Amino acid sequence: MLSVPARGRMDWTLVLAASALIVVGTIALLSAASHIPGYHGILQRHSLALAIGIGLFLFGFSFHYQIYQDQSRILYALTLAMMVVVLLMGTVRRGHRAWFEFSIISFQPMELARIGVVLALASFLDWRGRRIGELSTVGGALALVGTVMVLILLQPDFASSLTFFPVLIGMLFCAGASFEHLVVLVGYGSIAIAFPLVYVLCQVHFPDAASGTVAKIVMETGRLGWTTAAVLVGVAAVAAGCWWLALMMRLRPRAGYFIVAAAIVVTGLLSGIMVNRQLKGYQRNRFVAFLSPETDIQGASYNVHQSVIAIGSGGLLGKGLFSGTQSRLGFLPERHTDFIFAVIGEEMGFIGTMGVLGLYMLMIWRLIETAKLSRDRYGSLVASGLASMLAFHLMLNVGMCLGVVPVAGVPLPLVSYGGSSLAVTMWALGIATNIHSHRYSFL
Amino acid sequence: MGPLQDRIDLLWLAIYVCVGGVLGARIIQLQVVQRAEYARAAERNRTQIIYQAAPRGRFYDRNGAVLATNEPAFSLIFLPPKGQTAAELAVLAEELAKHLDTDRKSLQEKLQQAVREESAVRLAENLPTGAMFRLSELKTLYPGIDLVVEARRRYPFGRVASHLMGYMGRMDQHSWGQFKAQGYRIDSRIGKMGLERVFEAELRGKDGGIVMEVDAQGRLKGVLERIRWQPGSNVHLTLDAGVQKAADEGLRASLTGRGAAVAVDPRTGALLALSSAPDFDPNDFLSSDPEVVKRTTVDLPEFNRAIAGTYPPGSTFKIIVGAAGLDSGRITTADTVFCPGHTEIGNRVFLCWEAKGHRTMSWFPGLTNSCDVYFYRMGLKTGGPVIEKYAAMFGLGAKTNVALKGEKRGNLFGPKSKGGRPWFDGDTANLSIGQGELLVTPMQMAVVTAAVASRGVLWRPHFTSRIEYAGGRAEYVQKPEQVGSVVMKDSTWRDIHEAMRLVVSSGTGRVALIPGLEVYGKTGTSQNPGKDHAWFISFAAKPGEVPSIALAVLVENGEHGSSSAGPIARSMMLAAFGMPDPSKAALPPAAAPGGALPAPGVAPAFPGRRL
Repeated sequence: MLSVPARGRMDWTLVLAASALIVVGTIALLSAASHIPGYHGILQRHSLALAIGIGLFLFGFSFHYQIYQDQSRILYALTLAMMVVVLLMGTVRRGHRAWFEFSIISFQPMELARIGVVLALASFLDWRGRRIGELSTVGGALALVGTVMVLILLQPDFASSLTFFPVLIGMLFCAGASFEHLVVLVGYGSIAIAFPLVYVLCQVHFPDAASGTVAKIVMETGRLGWTTAAVLVGVAAVAAGCWWLALMMRLRPRAGYFIVAAAIVVTGLLSGIMVNRQLKGYQRNRFVAFLSPETDIQGASYNVHQSVIAIGSGGLLGKGLFSGTQSRLGFLPERHTDFIFAVIGEEMGFIGTMGVLGLYMLMIWRLIETAKLSRDRYGSLVASGLASMLAFHLMLNVGMCLGVVPVAGVPLPLVSYGGSSLAVTMWALGIATNIHSHRYSFL
Repeated sequence: MGPLQDRIDLLWLAIYVCVGGVLGARIIQLQVVQRAEYARAAERNRTQIIYQAAPRGRFYDRNGAVLATNEPAFSLIFLPPKGQTAAELAVLAEELAKHLDTDRKSLQEKLQQAVREESAVRLAENLPTGAMFRLSELKTLYPGIDLVVEARRRYPFGRVASHLMGYMGRMDQHSWGQFKAQGYRIDSRIGKMGLERVFEAELRGKDGGIVMEVDAQGRLKGVLERIRWQPGSNVHLTLDAGVQKAADEGLRASLTGRGAAVAVDPRTGALLALSSAPDFDPNDFLSSDPEVVKRTTVDLPEFNRAIAGTYPPGSTFKIIVGAAGLDSGRITTADTVFCPGHTEIGNRVFLCWEAKGHRTMSWFPGLTNSCDVYFYRMGLKTGGPVIEKYAAMFGLGAKTNVALKGEKRGNLFGPKSKGGRPWFDGDTANLSIGQGELLVTPMQMAVVTAAVASRGVLWRPHFTSRIEYAGGRAEYVQKPEQVGSVVMKDSTWRDIHEAMRLVVSSGTGRVALIPGLEVYGKTGTSQNPGKDHAWFISFAAKPGEVPSIALAVLVENGEHGSSSAGPIARSMMLAAFGMPDPSKAALPPAAAPGGALPAPGVAPAFPGRRL
């Protein structure tokens, strides 16, 4: 099945954009990590990951992407197995049981699972191509992705788990799922994600809410007791009431709508409560920091505050490489990993940040083009899934550095230091390039 | 694949707008629009400054004598260098302990802490100059030791003019809120009173400092730069340090040690001296001993009697009564009154201070002897309304508007001021000798005296002659400010001047007689619930010249104008004309105030009004 694509079919724009991002990320890493103990170890691991990444890129580029479709069941089974094994045997770092450690290198299987899920979901959606409009398809897709999300949530890593959801929505959308189903799914997802946020918000702003107030009810609901049951029954009752009202007004309502609406709210709430119970203290603090940054500037919101200062103080041209005071003097936390974008902003200025943003958008645009040009549906779905994934990572990471989204602790693929992410992303880009190279062939 | 293509396009559009657009807009906001603001925030993060207080502008008197200046105060700081061992620190602590007033152990602890935390420390403040020289040698021997020089306010004349100069102190909550925006620091000192406060904006310089780079943990990374300070603007005052000193010392040594003296140049309205006792030494507020500062603050005599103390003018007011009578034509200098020691007005008996009576009195002997009966009668002849009119013309009952906080207007007394309440002849009689509800400040009396000396020019008193701005700004020159004039006949002025000269040459004010000068004056003793207040107003000129000093001296409960207030006025005039003061040699310099001096003359037999 080895099918080396013809010369000249390589998507050079994508390759150059990705290479430029890796170069910028490496330069920023050289500067950002220079005052961190173990600088040389970091550089060695980065070089190793880069070498492995180039290998994986060539591997992905060389193998015909349809192999993944043929072997999708095995691929998905492997992904699940990997995620279960890491829960049983993985190493704990920063509170997450998410790592496999070998002698000198460690590996985060969740990164690999991202690609595995995209490949498996594309295969599933392609298989259900004619029945894409059915609810069962959407349900199946949700089950496929949700299983992995739950496994990651058990690590417990709320933010990383979250990154799978937009990929699911994006791929379903591109596969042609009906708008009703997408609305249902987004509604469910929003409630599930919003509940922990609202819960934390109530905790911060109304810590001593009297019983009977909305804040108190929200907090009681989160405790999964009688209040929760009452709220859920209440939701069902309201839905039934609305249906009855519509019936009385002779609007000829379809009962299904109301049942589905109630079901969305109930399941969304239940999932949200589950997520809320999984949240770690520091993750809760990140919510607090985002929802009310003035509460505690030295604590959780300190990181974002310093990151915004670093980026803003970089100005148009930046302070020059190795000269960022925020980074060099240790004001910027996690500066070579999650906050690498702030280092770029401080040392390379507006030119640097806009450059990174532009290159990223260029790369995503190439993936979108690949999706449009792909000769089959499967390739198209894989490419659009990857595009959604990268776009969401960009939003979460850069948005966090700029202080416009809550701190999620998601890396910026290709730019942040992190071997697993780098290597796996390069493999994914290799697959995308392969899809692109086969756009005219019908073999 | 029609619909699929469209959906991929929509996905791209969503990503382009929601991700690219939002992030791009935020980047522009942070790095283009608000970049200066964040650049400052980053600078604040990484820098720490050891400030050096800049020299404050100096105060000079009219002859160039320095009334307030600055002296260098040295602080010893330690900027821990890398890799200093505990043994080295012990040697350093040992060495420093020899020169500082601290024991070796606590010094060593301080040094060790600085090294451990890699942060700068201030080891000692306000070092004496001697210690400084020895320590500056250590600077070359031990890395990290550095001397920071700061400017500390000093008043070379000590207590002289303390009420006018004011003092420097730490900011309170209120002033911190007010000065924060102007670049003051929480530990900055500000002018708290008097001229130090009035000229705060001019006097203040720009502090210098050592700017250090620190990391997120506050550890010292290096010295970025040393900023030179910029001194403040110098203020030249119209004061005459000699006159001021004479006034201050005279009041301090007076019977009660409480009082005020104001001297004005009648040609310009420039203040030559402004003194209020008890006074204080503004240097004490800057002492390195916190106990001294605390005690000084608690005991501070904040009340400036020269502008805020109001007293009945007593007999000094007779000049205005005479002016009113003579100028309005109600009386003439030839009008005579027989003084038997008392007189009856209505059904009340009014006494003269001279119980045995002055016999026949006219204008000149009447003022020279300050005969009360003469003025009761002449006052009644002139009438309350006319006296009140002239008193108002001389500026009584109104502020002189000298640019100091807390000036009082006093109280004008007369039929009009009484506002409809009945006015009796008895009131006129009381007014005629400067009693009743009439109240004046020493500052007002000095202005009145200056108006008499200058034949009617009413000045707004000022104390600035010019401000020499730092940084090349054109200097500000104060111009005399006339706020009114007393228009009277030439003959009236002549008669008043002549009478006031007789007071000094042959009357109650003989104590102020100075050979070689033409001295004019009037004594006063104002009745008051306790012991009487002593007044002396006076002006003087070199023969053939216009008067160049007009003054008013008040000694609270000083009993007799001639004996308490007169000598102070004399000393002030001697100083103003640069003449030696023989009383200085005779008197011990620190005569105990309030000492049991025997009252000169015969003790009065009745609690009446005298002189």
